Amino acid sequence: MVKYTAEELLHLKPEETLPVDFDAEEFRAIIENIKQIQALKEEEYAAHGFTNRRRSSHHYHTRPKVKHNKPKVTTDADGWSTLETAKGEEGEAGEESDEEDSAPFVATISTETIRVKPNNKNISSSRPADNRDIILDKQTNTFNAFAALESDEDE
Amino acid sequence: MSVEEVTQKFESVSVDNNAPKTVLNDDKSFEVKHPLNTKWTLWYTKPAVDKSESWSDLLRPVTSFNTVEEFWAIVKNIPEPHDLPLKSDYHVFRNDIRPEWEDSANEKGGKWSYHIRSKSSDIDELWLRTLLAVIGETIDEEDSQINGVVLSIRKGTSKFALWTKSEDQTEALTNIGARFKQVLKLGEEDKIEFIPHSSTGKNAQPTLTL
Repeated sequence: MVKYTAEELLHLKPEETLPVDFDAEEFRAIIENIKQIQALKEEEYAAHGFTNRRRSSHHYHTRPKVKHNKPKVTTDADGWSTLETAKGEEGEAGEESDEEDSAPFVATISTETIRVKPNNKNISSSRPADNRDIILDKQTNTFNAFAALESDEDE
Repeated sequence: MSVEEVTQKFESVSVDNNAPKTVLNDDKSFEVKHPLNTKWTLWYTKPAVDKSESWSDLLRPVTSFNTVEEFWAIVKNIPEPHDLPLKSDYHVFRNDIRPEWEDSANEKGGKWSYHIRSKSSDIDELWLRTLLAVIGETIDEEDSQINGVVLSIRKGTSKFALWTKSEDQTEALTNIGARFKQVLKLGEEDKIEFIPHSSTGKNAQPTLTL
């Protein structure tokens, strides 16, 4: 078996860099390219971390609440129904809600106008559901035989 | 012998210019090369930069060499270990053995391995020492137990692994492990482990520890 000690091998090391039978330049270029890609990924991770990921719930004891309960309606003995709104909706009033709580309750009639637009899709005819349009479409210059007879007698 | 005779004889002596040049007298255009015991192949595992890349796409043979001079030419032309990207591996394996457990030359073998903290040691020097011991066949004096050597570059650590062709030659493997520790400049407190390829996995237990 041919053997060389480390010292013998180091003694045979040429000073010059000799050519090789593969494309060493391309090999080094591939490695340099990979290092650049890895550096870019590292930068991206440092800039965003986990924030560009969807929120995971694996570390919570319960799953995030996605489906909310229906609004609760209670009806008293007199037949009045009360809607218990969600906490979030109450919170939207903000600071003003505190003032309102202390003031006596005043019932107000809503002044908001509700506009209802007729939907022709649900009417059997595809024509517009407006009588004025129907009148306009009616032919008006028809011959009236009775009116013509009356005019003859007058003469 | 007269002075004239000596002069004549001296003039007749000349350096044989036709003798083959060695690396020692001309390191640019030498002709005589020092053969190694066997051919060796350098493999490189490229880190995956795309999820679609499989192991077979990443592991590629770079080149082969069977002389000392070719070895040095390759060493000088490829990046040193500290210059490799993370998740890269250099493999130097005997002949055409693939650096995989599935290769018939490896399937009944195992590996001595040791993790070195990259910042605390000069991995370039240790890798070169390991290569010289392996290709010079001084790490395995009795018979050719060594199939190859692997260097894995990972975050904060580098793994050196010496692959053997058998897993049950305890005495030979112990001798190799002891020399491997010397090559890696490890002390008594540093432990290297031998794990057979047949049990390699998450719960693999070393069969030898030095």
